[in-house]
Amino acid sequence: MVQIVVSSARAGGLAEWVLMELQGEIEARYSTGLAGNLLGDLHYTTEGTPVLIVGHHILYGKIIHLEKPFAVLVKHTPGDQYCDELGRETGTRYLVTALIKDKILFKTRPKPIITNVPKKV
Amino acid sequence: QPAGSLPHGRSAALPQGLRGGREAEEASGSLHVSPPAPRIKRPRLQVVKRLNFRSEEMEELPLPDSPRIDVTPPPSPEDLAELWDHELGRRWSPSGRVPWLRVPWSLLRASDAAADVGLTRASAAARNPDFVHVTSTEGVRAYLVLRADPVATGVQSPLLHVPWRGGGQLDLLGVSFASLKEQVHGERRERLLQEAQRLSDTLRSLGSGEEEAAQPVGAPEEEPADGQDASTHCLWVDEFAPRHYTELLSDDFTNRCLLKWLKLWDLVVFGHERPSRKPRPSVEPARVSREAFRTRIEAATQMESVLGAGGKPNCLVIDEIDGAPVVGSLIILNRKGPQEAEPQGPAVPSGGGRRRRAEGALLMRPIICICNDQFAPSLRQLKQQAFLLHFPPTLPSRLVQRLQEVSLRQGMRTDPGVLAALCEKTDNDIRACINTLQFLYSRGQREVSVRDVQATRVGLKDQRRGLFSVWQEVFQLPRAQRRRVGQDPALPADTLLLGDGDAGSLTSASQRFYRVLHAAASAGEHEKVVQGLFDNFLRLRLRDSSLGAVCAALDWLAFDDLLAGAAHHSQSFQLLRYPPFLPVAFHVLFASGHTPRIIFPSSQQEAQNRMSQMRNLIQTLVSGIAPAMRSRATPQALLLDALCLLLDILAPKLRPVSTQLYSTREKQQLASLVGTMLAYSLTYRQERTPDGQYIYRLEPNVEELCRFPELPARKPLTYQAKQLIALPPPHQPERDFFGRVVVRSTAAPSAGVWGGCCGQDSVERLMGTAVGRSEVWFRFNEGVSNAVRRRLYIRDLL
Repeated sequence: MVQIVVSSARAGGLAEWVLMELQGEIEARYSTGLAGNLLGDLHYTTEGTPVLIVGHHILYGKIIHLEKPFAVLVKHTPGDQYCDELGRETGTRYLVTALIKDKILFKTRPKPIITNVPKKV
Repeated sequence: QPAGSLPHGRSAALPQGLRGGREAEEASGSLHVSPPAPRIKRPRLQVVKRLNFRSEEMEELPLPDSPRIDVTPPPSPEDLAELWDHELGRRWSPSGRVPWLRVPWSLLRASDAAADVGLTRASAAARNPDFVHVTSTEGVRAYLVLRADPVATGVQSPLLHVPWRGGGQLDLLGVSFASLKEQVHGERRERLLQEAQRLSDTLRSLGSGEEEAAQPVGAPEEEPADGQDASTHCLWVDEFAPRHYTELLSDDFTNRCLLKWLKLWDLVVFGHERPSRKPRPSVEPARVSREAFRTRIEAATQMESVLGAGGKPNCLVIDEIDGAPVVGSLIILNRKGPQEAEPQGPAVPSGGGRRRRAEGALLMRPIICICNDQFAPSLRQLKQQAFLLHFPPTLPSRLVQRLQEVSLRQGMRTDPGVLAALCEKTDNDIRACINTLQFLYSRGQREVSVRDVQATRVGLKDQRRGLFSVWQEVFQLPRAQRRRVGQDPALPADTLLLGDGDAGSLTSASQRFYRVLHAAASAGEHEKVVQGLFDNFLRLRLRDSSLGAVCAALDWLAFDDLLAGAAHHSQSFQLLRYPPFLPVAFHVLFASGHTPRIIFPSSQQEAQNRMSQMRNLIQTLVSGIAPAMRSRATPQALLLDALCLLLDILAPKLRPVSTQLYSTREKQQLASLVGTMLAYSLTYRQERTPDGQYIYRLEPNVEELCRFPELPARKPLTYQAKQLIALPPPHQPERDFFGRVVVRSTAAPSAGVWGGCCGQDSVERLMGTAVGRSEVWFRFNEGVSNAVRRRLYIRDLL
């Protein structure tokens, strides 16, 4: 029987992450790829509505408390891990690095931001 | 005689006060008398100096510079005579000398006169009685020396070497007014004497004519005297205008219809049915403007005067209403109350009953409108609400009867045959008949014979023939070739002078010639007549097969056109004498016994409409051409040379498949086609034909210009091809005013579909500077993708 061990990464509390759910795709403008690039800006309005600005789109979302929180697992494969006290090579272990209890859902259609509204001719 | 010297050797010294102010000041050394009259503030005229009536300072009068000073006309003779009479009566009658007036008008400008005539008269008369003052129409006064003219030849210019207006003499003023009056009286007396002489001559001639026939009716001796006076004073048509029902000339049925209609108004007018009473219409002579028209109608139908003079209600009769402006008939309509008058409604004349319209105009009085042409456009609306009564033409028998009554009353001897001939000649027109009778009567004839009737050309109405009757006349051979030599007013006067026996000299062809000529000339619109002939002449049965007649007719038409053009272009309207001969030529060429139905000409109108349409098309096309090509595309050149070929260029062979499948060459072809169309601003627009089909039509539709009905039409593009061109290609982004592409986020149609949508590539490519430049794009998909399942293997987890 396969056993996958999931354990907490450290003894203290885990980090709290927030899940951002966007309905759509994110593509890189340049060919460098997505990694390391800025997605956009997340702001909150005074009412607490999250606002995401991606490029020249603005999305309004809402914070949803997850009924079933998520845990962020990081896989640790044997070989690059220390052995445990038994000296045996442990199998794949998943470490929980963070918990996600809320998510921000952006499901509305993005609005374009037009800086220069042409005047009526 | 030098001016300024008076008879009796008196020196005519101008009173001090009346001299020019300058002189008065100059003569300060001498006694200075203050001017007796207030000075008028007028600019001093140079000529004042010349009016120097002091004899010691007499010098040569300078030349009158008449061009500078306008010559004021003499005052009216009445004033002058009054002035003269007044003055002369007082001054000169004792001596009996008639003063002659010297009128050198250029010297008349005297200034510094008093405004008050009385004052000057007194002053002038006091100073010097030999003066007369004359006032021009502008108020300028002149003081004129009076002296006797021993020669008595009238006005003489003291300056004989000066060319005087009108020669040396002005005769009218040289003659005294009294003698002029005498002349006029004399002339009038002369004329009266002549008149009296003429009358007595006629009386004498009548007296001699009376002896032959005994006049049974009336006293013939006093009749002529009365008759003369009566005939000079009033027309028989007025005298014998019908006053009783029995004197009406129309047939009984029409009369009874009208009476019945009038009786129907009893209910409204009087509030109840009245036993047999006829409302008497009061006829008003109307040649009124629109406002007066309205007030008249109001007056007749609404106001207190509705009761009329005799205490009877008014009935308004409007004659010649087809000549009234359209507004006029609308005014009447506005006044129309309900045709179905309420039976219990009060018959209060003004304002009674329900107010249907803002003006409260309920028609309470009958209005009778008389017109000649019931199809006049101005009557269209009125006809819908009116009761139409058509008067048939007068029966000759009725007319003859009436004429007999008239002639009996007037003491003329006629017999029915003569009267019948008269009726026929005047085409059953009552007024013409009575006028003719009166004319003959006034010329002294008491007995009318057939010959008189035939020979007289007076009393005939100026007839305007309708167009259809003219065309009928031209194309139809007259049925009965009666010998109506003397009766035909169309024939020229000299043929009438031939006696009855010479009737044969006029052949029937010439008769027809003159007849048609007269008809053509009396038709009002020559243009329409010719158009009617043009439209109809090919529908007739032609006798010769060589079509020579048709060629001749076309030549005539061209001639007519040239004449009209020349007449109007160079304003030589005497050329318009010749066009009426065209219908005569047509008659000679085409008249036959049987004519088909003549249609009203419309070809001119149609051709004109089409031409203006085509012109507009070309204009629209030319105005839409891009400037680069406009310089080479003048309307004329475009129409004649380029347009047909352009339309060929715009119809290449295009495969009716989607543009995606086109080869590069085809794509190029399509692009150039679209470019060409854009350059000429042509496009295809979808339209719905009346039978429900959708077609694409070129806009502006210049195909019309190049399409001729008899030639085969060029093969047009297929519907699909046109659609291709008409619809924009799919990847054309919309641009806002500044030319930037307006970004649209498009949505995938269903939830859960994991896929991009098309159309974003170009957006990305064409996106300009964006807000908050970021390195990622977000492509929105509507709907969540939670429900998507994926296979996951355990071994991936391990």
